[in-house]
Amino acid sequence: MDSSVVLKIFLVVAVLAIVLLLWLANYRQSTPLAQSDLTARGYGIRRYWFWCTLIVAFAVYAITIPAFPYRKAQASVNARHYSVIAQQYGFTLPAVVPLDTPVVFDVTAKDVNHGFGIYDPGGRVITQVQAMPLYVNHLAVTFTVPGRYRVRCLEFCGIAHAAMQGSFDVK
Amino acid sequence: MSTAIDDAGDRRGKRVMWTYIVCGLSIFTLMLLVGILLRGSQAAWFALDAGVFYSLLSLHGVGMLTALTISGLGTLWYLVNRETPLNEGVAYVAFSLFVGGVAAVIVSVVVGHYGALWTMLYPLPFVGTYWPSWATGAWLIGTLLVMVGFTIWCAQILGALVVRFGGLNGMLGIDYVLRNRAFVQSGKEPPAPEMFAAAITAIDGFIAATAGLLVGIALLVHWLDPTVALDPLWAKNLTYMFGHTFANLTMYMAVAGIYVGLPLCTKRSYHTSVQLTVAWWATLTFVIIAYFHHLYMDFAQAQSVQYIGEIASYLAAIPVVVVTVYGGVLLVHRSGMRWTLGSMFLFAGMIGWVVGGFAAVLDATIPVNVDLHNTLWVPGHFHTYLLEGVVLFTLGWVFVNLEARSGGQTSALVRWLVGVGMFGGGALFLLSFYLAGAAGVPRRYAVEPAPGPFFANIATIGALVLLAGFILAASEALRLARLKPAHVPL
Repeated sequence: MDSSVVLKIFLVVAVLAIVLLLWLANYRQSTPLAQSDLTARGYGIRRYWFWCTLIVAFAVYAITIPAFPYRKAQASVNARHYSVIAQQYGFTLPAVVPLDTPVVFDVTAKDVNHGFGIYDPGGRVITQVQAMPLYVNHLAVTFTVPGRYRVRCLEFCGIAHAAMQGSFDVK
Repeated sequence: MSTAIDDAGDRRGKRVMWTYIVCGLSIFTLMLLVGILLRGSQAAWFALDAGVFYSLLSLHGVGMLTALTISGLGTLWYLVNRETPLNEGVAYVAFSLFVGGVAAVIVSVVVGHYGALWTMLYPLPFVGTYWPSWATGAWLIGTLLVMVGFTIWCAQILGALVVRFGGLNGMLGIDYVLRNRAFVQSGKEPPAPEMFAAAITAIDGFIAATAGLLVGIALLVHWLDPTVALDPLWAKNLTYMFGHTFANLTMYMAVAGIYVGLPLCTKRSYHTSVQLTVAWWATLTFVIIAYFHHLYMDFAQAQSVQYIGEIASYLAAIPVVVVTVYGGVLLVHRSGMRWTLGSMFLFAGMIGWVVGGFAAVLDATIPVNVDLHNTLWVPGHFHTYLLEGVVLFTLGWVFVNLEARSGGQTSALVRWLVGVGMFGGGALFLLSFYLAGAAGVPRRYAVEPAPGPFFANIATIGALVLLAGFILAASEALRLARLKPAHVPL
């Protein structure tokens, strides 16, 4: 999901929540009500609010399941596989990856945990997976935009973590 | 509020509480300064060597969590002691272990320059290190001491609550929910809301500390004998099972401030309800497995675990936030409450909890996490949750106590200045994390790629404004503490 959309959703909900909570806290404080006058109605609303939120949570969960990345590598039976090896402080990467073709990166690490984060030519994270010693993580991607893609380490791996990067071309 | 102990017992309980809180907030202040140094360095206001940066980042992470845990445990200990008298010697043993652990960690970082961060993902603390081996050992021993102290605290509280409420059934309000009519007709009362906070902290804390001790001892064995190899995925699971739960529980400790502090501010009462009890059950069950979201990008992890992770993350947080904050707002709404620093911090803490919690829930959604995992969005949400949630609840609790004890008030001008500093500066500081995270800037980079340094500039300015607000609040706390007691009962 596009991070800029997530950011907008977050900012809108955060601002609405802050305004609503502050309004509820300051509304007619000079004319107080007894707690008993509020309790029945307030707790009645809370029951619906509680269950509605839970329903929304389960609905979001169900909607997002098809976008989980885990089955994509298995589903990409005809995809070309590329080996990626991470090691303090660099990546062994393919030089070129085909455009509009399903590919699977078989990602592992030689020493410690690393992250294999792929940034598109516009500098946006498009996907990532961890690179871990003794394990191979299979990351399925189909690149639809040509250009040079940068790879950054997205798991702290030591003193030169911030300098650990690489790149490949998509064409 | 009625209590089960006499004045002398209450005084002893308060002594334990203030010992914990003063120590916790002192460490917090030190770590705040370290955090500002780190952000200032990322903003290129001055240059920190990468090794120094990661050593300080290691200290900042573990120090902050330990500081907030110590404060929260002190508060809960005091509240449980009012319900059922506790042995204060046990509390001081646990406290000594915390202090010993912090000292070992400081030595490891300041003298040994340990820099594998507080998550110390195996095999990192042993591979490609720029610090001596003894520093890794000191770090491991320090964190183990904190875990042992935490385990002792959990065992004491758990034992006391089980005895007080006649078993797990009574402690967790099981009959109250499942046989509600008979329960109410029998004239029984469910545990007070803050007792749920204590019980869930003790149960989940005990489980998490066990996981932490297991991986901590395994790492220690590897340190002593490098031929003993661990499985990195196993170590990662246990590390996050402890780390995530430990961090999360700081909120559930501090939330007692809403249940006990807000009623004092509003002169209303916060009752246990069926929804509140069920919400705490959800937290009890799911907070311990919500850590799965830290391993979303480990595709080698069993897929079923990934599928559970997202819904567990939702259920660990959402019900208890929804019910507790709703109840808190209902307490304040048209109560005639006067704004003091205590009530202001407690209410603002609820806002921080909601906003930080929502950012966390977004990041715990797998298709979102694919883009945001280990970007600055992550520190964005946990700094919101901790700095504008847990810290504010802690400060709110401190001020509610000081205001009740002294009968003293803070001027409107000082309240505004503290508010502008801590909330305005805080908003600037936090917003920069979210904006940079959404732009893909990675976390834990000593030198960030663009646009990271631009946002780090804004963050550092925000953090300095926040620091000014915090110093003003601290000086006001000291002023109230020095006032003659007005003997207003808490």
